[in-house]
Amino acid sequence: MSEKKKVKRNSRASGRRELKEIVETCEAISERKFNPFFLDVRLGVDTLRQYFPLWETFADHCLDAHTLNRLSEVVRLQNTQLKFQSSMLYADPEFIARKVDRMSERRLAEVFLQSWHPLSEMEQLTEETFSNAIDYWNALLPISARWKRREHIDSKQPSSANNDTLIGLGIRGEEFDQQLTKLLDELRDVYKSSGNVDYWSFVRRPEYQETVHRAYLVSFLITYDYVKLHVHEDELLLVPTEQPSGKTRPSAASFPIPIPRSP
Amino acid sequence: MQDKEVAQTFYADKLKRAIHLLLFKRGKMPGAKEWELKEKLGKNFEQVIEQLNQLLSELDLEIKKVKESSSLETMQENRPGEMTRYYITLKGSLGLKEAKMIGWRIDNLAALAASTAYLLSKQGKAPRDDLEKLLSNKFGKWKAVTLVEVFLRTGYLEEDDAGVTSIGWRTQSEVDLKALMTKMAEVKL
Repeated sequence: MSEKKKVKRNSRASGRRELKEIVETCEAISERKFNPFFLDVRLGVDTLRQYFPLWETFADHCLDAHTLNRLSEVVRLQNTQLKFQSSMLYADPEFIARKVDRMSERRLAEVFLQSWHPLSEMEQLTEETFSNAIDYWNALLPISARWKRREHIDSKQPSSANNDTLIGLGIRGEEFDQQLTKLLDELRDVYKSSGNVDYWSFVRRPEYQETVHRAYLVSFLITYDYVKLHVHEDELLLVPTEQPSGKTRPSAASFPIPIPRSP
Repeated sequence: MQDKEVAQTFYADKLKRAIHLLLFKRGKMPGAKEWELKEKLGKNFEQVIEQLNQLLSELDLEIKKVKESSSLETMQENRPGEMTRYYITLKGSLGLKEAKMIGWRIDNLAALAASTAYLLSKQGKAPRDDLEKLLSNKFGKWKAVTLVEVFLRTGYLEEDDAGVTSIGWRTQSEVDLKALMTKMAEVKL
C-alpha cells in the first residue's frame, strides 16, 4: 500500500515538472523565442490528461488550468502563423537576414523608399500658446532693466564640499549599493508581512531630509526594475519584483512625485 | 438651385474642418481619431473624407485609415469597436535626395528597412536582442543599439516590458508592408 502511495507521489512530482516545462515552452513561444509549431500541442494535452487524475490539491488544479490556458495561446499563435504564411507578407526570417547582410545600405534604402509614404503633419501656434507668448512679452522688462537687476544680485563663488557635506548627501559613507540593498530588503519584509506597500508610508520619515533620501533611493529601485510602482487613483503602491532584470525598461516613463514638507 | 449652393458651401466648410483636423498636430500623435471626425463633421464624415481624398490626390497626398493596434496579428483581423485613426500621407514615394532633404540619412533608412522586413518575417514581433544582432552585423553594435532606440522613440517600432520589439504605429501608417516584402524578395544579390 505504502509502495503504491510512493509511486503516486513520484508521479505527481514528475507531472508537476512536466507541466511546468510545458508552461515555460509556451511562454518562450509567446515571447517569440521559438516558432509556435515547435511545441506538439497534442502531446501537451495528452500529458495534461495523463496527470489529471492524480491532482488533489488546489495548487495542482491551478497549474493544470494554467497549462491548458498557455497551450490554447500557442494554438492561437499557430493559427495566426498559418494565416500569416498564406499572406503576401510571409518570408523566411533567415532569408531576410541573409538579404539584409548582403544588400548595400543604399540598395536597402532605395527598396524602403519605394514602399514608404511618410506622414504629413504641421505644427502650429495655437490660440493658447499665442496668448501665453503675448503675456510673457508684455511682462518682460527691457534688457537694460534686466541687466540692472542682475547687477544687484549678490552671488558667491562656488565653494568646495567638505567630508561632512558629502556624508550628509549620502555620497560618502555607506556605499550606495548597500543603501539600496538595505532599503529593498526592508521593502520586501514589509511586503511579506502586509502585502502592497503604500509609497508614502514607506518613504515618509519624521525628518524631511530622510524622506527625500528614501524617495531618491526608491526611485532608483523602480528605475532598475527592483520595485514596481502601481498607481491606483490617489494611491501609490510599491511591489517588489520577484525576478528583477536590473536594467532600465526602455518603455518606462518619468513619473515625478513632489514631496511636500508637511504630510 | 439656391438650396444646392447652400449645400455646397456647407460641404466646403466641412472639408476645411476636416483638413484642419487631419493636418494640424494637436496631441502627441498626428492625424485625427475616427470619433473626433464624426463629432466635428457629422455622420457623413466618411463622404467628407472621401471628397477630401480626391482633392488631396492631385497634390500627391492621400488620407489613410489605420487601426490603433500595435500588433500585426490584430492588424490583420477585423475587430469591431477598435479605435481607428486617419492620417494624411504621401501618395507617391520619395527619392533618395528628397529623403535626405527631409532629414533622413541613408543608413537610417537602410536600418529601418532591415528592421521592418525582419520583424515582418517574424510575424511583426521579435526579441530586441535579435533585432540588434541583425543590425549590428551591418552597422556595428553601438550604432545598431542607437538606431533601435531612435526607431522606438519615433514610433516606427514598439517594445513591451518583456523586451519584445514589434512594428510600431508609424510603420503601419507609413509603410506599404506588402510592397516592402515583395521588393525585398525581388532584389537580386
